[in-house]
Amino acid sequence: MDSLPVIVGFLEDAKRTQEFDDGAFFVLNMVVEELYTNMVKYNGNGADDILIGVEKEGGNMVIRLVDFDSEPFDYTSQSEVDVSASLHERTPGGLGIHLVKRFMDEVSYQYKDRKTSIRLVKYLNANA
Amino acid sequence: MLEIIRDGSQAIRLKGRLDATQSEMAFTEFDTLQGECRVWFEELDYISSAGLSVLLHTQQRLSKDGGSLTLCGLNQHVRLVFEYAGFDTIFTIE
Repeated sequence: MDSLPVIVGFLEDAKRTQEFDDGAFFVLNMVVEELYTNMVKYNGNGADDILIGVEKEGGNMVIRLVDFDSEPFDYTSQSEVDVSASLHERTPGGLGIHLVKRFMDEVSYQYKDRKTSIRLVKYLNANA
Repeated sequence: MLEIIRDGSQAIRLKGRLDATQSEMAFTEFDTLQGECRVWFEELDYISSAGLSVLLHTQQRLSKDGGSLTLCGLNQHVRLVFEYAGFDTIFTIE
């Protein structure tokens, strides 16, 4: 978690160089934080070896996270969070991944030889 | 970086980013709120699920004694996070 401020600095550079607007930058922060903290939490041994990339491809923002030494965890098939539950039925568990899936237009997951790769696409011409 | 400005025992003003690195500090501060409280979001740029957890926990604690949080001045991005999380149904948002 100590790396998060460094990562935010990297994302701010990406915003500047690739000219992401405030809405795209907000989503970029959220997606990277939620997935990175999840990777560190569940794959603690690989915390130093997580690669984060972001680029503009056509009209899209494409985000990639790669954990080079991890257990399988399919982010795309996690059970849905019940967002209509009452206050006292709510738990914070799963909310981060739920938000990632809501904010992004495409999420794909790959696991091979202990390497987890996640690729996410946000259509920048769509509403946040 | 998150700045939390207290205005008595029933109001909090948030400034900056409420992310996983700041949620513990925020939790400590929110834990001192009592009764009907207002949280001002005008200067909050960003919130993640770690920040939502702090608010959820506080709302659940306050409601046991009939209290609650009212959230004011959310920017459009933060508001969308609350909508997507379904938090707009468990908080009063002004």
